[in-house]
Amino acid sequence: MKVFGKLAILGLLVLGLVLPCYAENIVVAGSTTVLPIAQKAAEVFMNNNPGSQISVRGGGSGVGIASIIDGTCDIADASRPIKESELDNAIANGRMPKANVIAMDGICVIVNPSNGINALSKKQIKDIYTGKVSNWSQLGGGNAKIVVISRDSSSGTFEAFGELVLDKEKVRSDALLQASNQAVVTTVSSTPGAIGYVGLGYVSSSVKALDVNGIKPSKESVLSGKYPVGRPLFMYTNKEPRGLAKEFIDFILSADGQRIVEEEGFVGLK
Amino acid sequence: MRKFLAMTALAGFMTFGLGLGSSYAGEIDLLLQKLVEKKVLTAGEAQQIGTETKEQVKAEIAAGKFSSLPAWVQNIKLKGDLRLRYQYKHEKAANDYSKDTQIGRLRMRLGLETKVNEKIMVGVGIATNSSGDPRSTNMTFGGSGDGYSTKMEIRLDNAYAKYSALPWLTIVGGKMLLNDVLWEPTDLIWDTDITPEGGVLQFNKGLGDNAGLFMNTGVLVQTADTSSDNDPVMMYIIQPGATYKLNDSMSLKGAFTANIGGNTKGRAYPTADWYKSSNTKNGSNWAYDYRTISPALEFSIKEPFKAVGLDIENMKLFGEYVENLATSDNNTGFSLGFQLGNDKISKFGDWQLKYIYAMLEKDAVLDVTPDSDRYSGKTGMRSHEVALNYGLGKNTFLGLDVYRSWSLIGRRAPETLVQVDWNLKF
Repeated sequence: MKVFGKLAILGLLVLGLVLPCYAENIVVAGSTTVLPIAQKAAEVFMNNNPGSQISVRGGGSGVGIASIIDGTCDIADASRPIKESELDNAIANGRMPKANVIAMDGICVIVNPSNGINALSKKQIKDIYTGKVSNWSQLGGGNAKIVVISRDSSSGTFEAFGELVLDKEKVRSDALLQASNQAVVTTVSSTPGAIGYVGLGYVSSSVKALDVNGIKPSKESVLSGKYPVGRPLFMYTNKEPRGLAKEFIDFILSADGQRIVEEEGFVGLK
Repeated sequence: MRKFLAMTALAGFMTFGLGLGSSYAGEIDLLLQKLVEKKVLTAGEAQQIGTETKEQVKAEIAAGKFSSLPAWVQNIKLKGDLRLRYQYKHEKAANDYSKDTQIGRLRMRLGLETKVNEKIMVGVGIATNSSGDPRSTNMTFGGSGDGYSTKMEIRLDNAYAKYSALPWLTIVGGKMLLNDVLWEPTDLIWDTDITPEGGVLQFNKGLGDNAGLFMNTGVLVQTADTSSDNDPVMMYIIQPGATYKLNDSMSLKGAFTANIGGNTKGRAYPTADWYKSSNTKNGSNWAYDYRTISPALEFSIKEPFKAVGLDIENMKLFGEYVENLATSDNNTGFSLGFQLGNDKISKFGDWQLKYIYAMLEKDAVLDVTPDSDRYSGKTGMRSHEVALNYGLGKNTFLGLDVYRSWSLIGRRAPETLVQVDWNLKF
């Protein structure tokens, strides 16, 4: 019996040492826009699947895609499609990026609630951000200087806004650059003449979201593609997702995962 | 299931029309819109399928570019340049006889680099060249002397392999680019057309974000000798150096180079044109060895005159000193200079202005290595050089280079050289 007991303890010890080695770990890195979805989904997924370890970090879409190319992450979060140069680089390094769309985002143009303007065209927004228009009176508003708030150049939202609205022209040099969506909302809500842009999920009652080209930013208009400043959000994997990466992406695309997407203020695909 | 069927159908559709990607993308959007209208797909599913399919096609097109050729071909980078030159030269010989000449010249260089594998890279370059002159890749219009528009010569300019053995160690061997062998802020000691032959170890170590150490060390074969058991004339080079970023706009780079070879003493002084007979001779042999030391420093400032409203992108101040330890007479040299303007000439209106004052005593260095345009490449001289480059557009710029030089020995015998260049890079 003593021998059996010792063997049992030894067996348990061996199992204890070996089992953790089989626990699968993945790293998710990239877009700060996708970050809240990834973080919340990882938290719920790990609660539901003890033994799975999902490490989530930001850094920006470019960082995420660079990490999937050099193999330092398993899933790259991105708020823009992979660039041709990144794709060439990936393939030259033996990688085959696979896009997995997990949600939609609408980039909302926001102003202070005290601003009388309710709608702008994409061209008017571009004129504001490239410095051609500097006073709200030029757009039918009150005589007030436009305080332009932008995201810093490392953010995916900045890149998407630059492509979707600015036709890749440079943001005016006097724009105030903010490091996060929340910082843009805070600045716009406290500055009467301010204009900024954030993901749909960050719009709150402290700011006013403007119609763009006559289309109101909403889940429906973004999903249908009618809202002109909408974009898909991606999780890139190397080839088709496998193992824990596949399970995690499948979870985000499930009803529970899409509920998290909606709770975080983005537009679910279902 | 609906999504799977739609994805499969679209992937086939897109693959069929791979070469016409963008026009098919528009048709896919229409197809998906119809499926949404007929309630086969939701708007979200249509977005997902459409976007993923387009991304998949992008990836397949990119992969196709790479899959049809062997890896070393995929990795080939080709580059080259063509330079057309007008050159005026005024020379005054020691007997006061003066000569003014005007010539047209051409330089063409074509280089190829490719990765043999992840660690090894090979580079090969050809260039116009007359008779093997190591310091010039110019060909003079009508210069063969054999008549109108004779064909020009092309020679192997460089051929080298680089092995990245460790993150901080690269081994280079062959007929190498000068930049891979040494760092020099001016061409006082080394003409930039020289492609040294031998092998070099490059050590590079970063020290945080603002500093780095480097060291180049190697063996360069100057003159091989298989006619006897004499050692070939060699240069054993060791060049430790450092870079340091003082702040966002100012940085320093410095190095100390020692050439502990240069065993020329007693050897026959070559008669080829590119040896200028300006080193001291003992009969028909070299009188000295050339074992040199040369400290060098470069100080860079971004937007140096911003405070006074002048929009100048970059300024560099640089200098180097050389001393031949194998003799104590006429054995030193130095250069001092500055460069103002854009860091690189990449578009119309970009410009660079450079000034260098240089002095080389008779036996400071071997007379086959200094800039061939500065007093015809001789030692025993001092010289002012002013150069202006002006961007004409992408990959093309005009250059004006003026040298005014004098002999340090005997009569001054001044020389003025004016070069007007049209440079085209590809």
